[in-house]
Amino acid sequence: MDDSSTAQRIAKSAAAATPPAMARQIRGLSDRAIAWLFVTPTIILLLAINIFPLIWTVYLSFTNYRANRLNREVEWIGLRNYERVLTDTDIWHTLQVTAHFVGWTMFFQVIIGFGLAWLINKQFRGHSFWTTLILLPMMLSPAVVGNFWTFLYQPQIGLFNYIVAFFAGIEPSSFQMIGDVNLAPWAIVIVDTWMWTPYVMLICLAGLRSIPDYIYEAAEVDRASKWRQFWSITVPMVLPFLMLAVLFRVIENFKMFDLVVELTSGGPGSVTELASINLKREAFEKWRTGYSSAFAIILFVTVFGVANIYVKALNKVKQR
Amino acid sequence: MSRQDIDHRKDSESQSLLTRFLQLRRGPWENLATVIIAVGTFMLMQPFYLELFTYSFVTILTGTVMFIIVSHFKE
Amino acid sequence: MSAASAHSVVESKPWTRHLAGGVVILYALITILPLVWILMTSFKTPPDSISYPPKVIFEPSLEGYVNLFTTRTRQTPEYMASLPPPENWVERLVRDRNMVIAGPSKFGERFLNSVIIGFGSTFLSVFLGTLAAYAFSRFKVPLKDDLMFFILSTRMMPPIAVAIPIFLMYRTLGLSDTHLGMILLYTAVNVSLAVWLLKGFIDEIPREYEEAALIDGYTRLQAFVKVVLPQAATGIAATAIFCLIFAWNEYAFALLLTSGTAQTAPPFIPTIIGEGGLDWPAVAAGATLFLIPIVVFTIVLRKHLLRGITFGAVRK
Repeated sequence: MDDSSTAQRIAKSAAAATPPAMARQIRGLSDRAIAWLFVTPTIILLLAINIFPLIWTVYLSFTNYRANRLNREVEWIGLRNYERVLTDTDIWHTLQVTAHFVGWTMFFQVIIGFGLAWLINKQFRGHSFWTTLILLPMMLSPAVVGNFWTFLYQPQIGLFNYIVAFFAGIEPSSFQMIGDVNLAPWAIVIVDTWMWTPYVMLICLAGLRSIPDYIYEAAEVDRASKWRQFWSITVPMVLPFLMLAVLFRVIENFKMFDLVVELTSGGPGSVTELASINLKREAFEKWRTGYSSAFAIILFVTVFGVANIYVKALNKVKQR
Repeated sequence: MSRQDIDHRKDSESQSLLTRFLQLRRGPWENLATVIIAVGTFMLMQPFYLELFTYSFVTILTGTVMFIIVSHFKE
Repeated sequence: MSAASAHSVVESKPWTRHLAGGVVILYALITILPLVWILMTSFKTPPDSISYPPKVIFEPSLEGYVNLFTTRTRQTPEYMASLPPPENWVERLVRDRNMVIAGPSKFGERFLNSVIIGFGSTFLSVFLGTLAAYAFSRFKVPLKDDLMFFILSTRMMPPIAVAIPIFLMYRTLGLSDTHLGMILLYTAVNVSLAVWLLKGFIDEIPREYEEAALIDGYTRLQAFVKVVLPQAATGIAATAIFCLIFAWNEYAFALLLTSGTAQTAPPFIPTIIGEGGLDWPAVAAGATLFLIPIVVFTIVLRKHLLRGITFGAVRK
């Protein structure tokens, strides 16, 4: 209280002492000052809420700290957490589960997404209306939607089982998408594909629309077959866009949490326990803070590495 | 003048990959770092050998640090 | 980019166009089926929602919505008979199930939290983002590319990885489970998107406008407020909607850092429990109310969607 009033007094006297010309100069700040003034708040916020916690995670990863035991002495144990994480077969297993999830979702999303974009690019009547409809799932809350999908996957009453059973000619209660060890990894792939195919589609569509017509016209003059045109014009021109979409989805699915936690919460057993879900268990259920911090750093560095490549792809597309 | 320019460009295009590495150009080094990150990510997630998994983090870290450094090289 | 060039060789034949249209429409219908099912389930009674085969035609009921907003207790028939006649349709609906309303549920509160945190963080991130984007767009900032990458990379962080120390930090500062804490957190995540998107929008505004204003005797700040901001209005609005959608949908941080006062709707909706498991019509009703704003926003945004999901790199 005292401090601020002194500060005010000083400010007032300073203002009184400042000649008008200088006051104008302060009001009309130099470009350099404005640049700093405008950028600094953002940087400070990011430092406080992203970078500082990150550095703290790095520190914790070298200790045996446990967040649920505040009185225990924190010991510096060097790289031992990293050693443990990187030789832990359970963690290795969760990363394989993640690989299955990332690999197959990418496969389906690229094929379906590109295919849809290619079809939409044929500009049939009403294509923009249907495109908007297709885009809806990706904007919705993954947790809320994922939770509802558990209802669609119910063996007896679920719509998904009913429709699949209807077309396959089997009993709807004869299979359990979420409860079955063999089907659960595919259940999460299906929902993620349903949700994020529009993302790949939209970016592919932009790639297709960036190809100028005259290239095809020239190819037509050269009597290149449609098949040739597709592989030597369409695919290479769309590829940078596709890379952009895939890299972003790889990053997002590598750290996937919300959708799958609500769908299967890692079960049955640990067949759908993705890296992030395992990390959440270690950190917030078993409270092995130091150990999970090391795991978090490993995941973070991987994401950060791929993010570097992503930004490179981003700049490549931007030049177009 | 323009003749020289063309010659010069031809020169730089015909430069071997090796000399461009040695000249510390951004392009090839960035590609190398990208490959290292990709290999590291594969090592992290492959189901075959535990040893590969163990050394994946070091590989990714190397690639990432390298990427950050070489992205400051001139084009 | 319309199909105006009717004579072009690129134009596909009518029958391929029809076929393409057919396939796309089929996919679109399949893809919105789960969403339609959410809407339908929200108007079913609990027995209808779990009937076999799944009911497509049913008598619509508001029971799901009533259950969503109330908590109820089961009573003995004697007690039910002793009650005065129901005052309104809500009470009648509940009493048909041999229950009485015990009070409002937490859904309203959670929804309000989502609104407060969503709008608060959106306002802050757009405000900070506009300033930073303007500086990055117009001035020479040292290490500009590195700073831009640094800003973007913060968005790529796995939420769970930073959640551990944020959890500890918030516990120390008393920010855990508070609106302010969540607003700051979502702002930090969203500001990166805001900076990247808005830089793209501001880059597109010709510098000449500001320069003319500067010659007219405006200061830099005045030129920014009176010339650039109005020009960037559409971009700012689009960015705001993107930030709002992120904050609205966010789940991981909300799950780990909030439990009561500041909990948003996404971690809450899946926990709506009826008698014997999840109360699906109520869950669907909650989901419907929660998803409708986003559906509306998506339709409003559709021209800017591409830009938003590529951090402004792809514009058309």
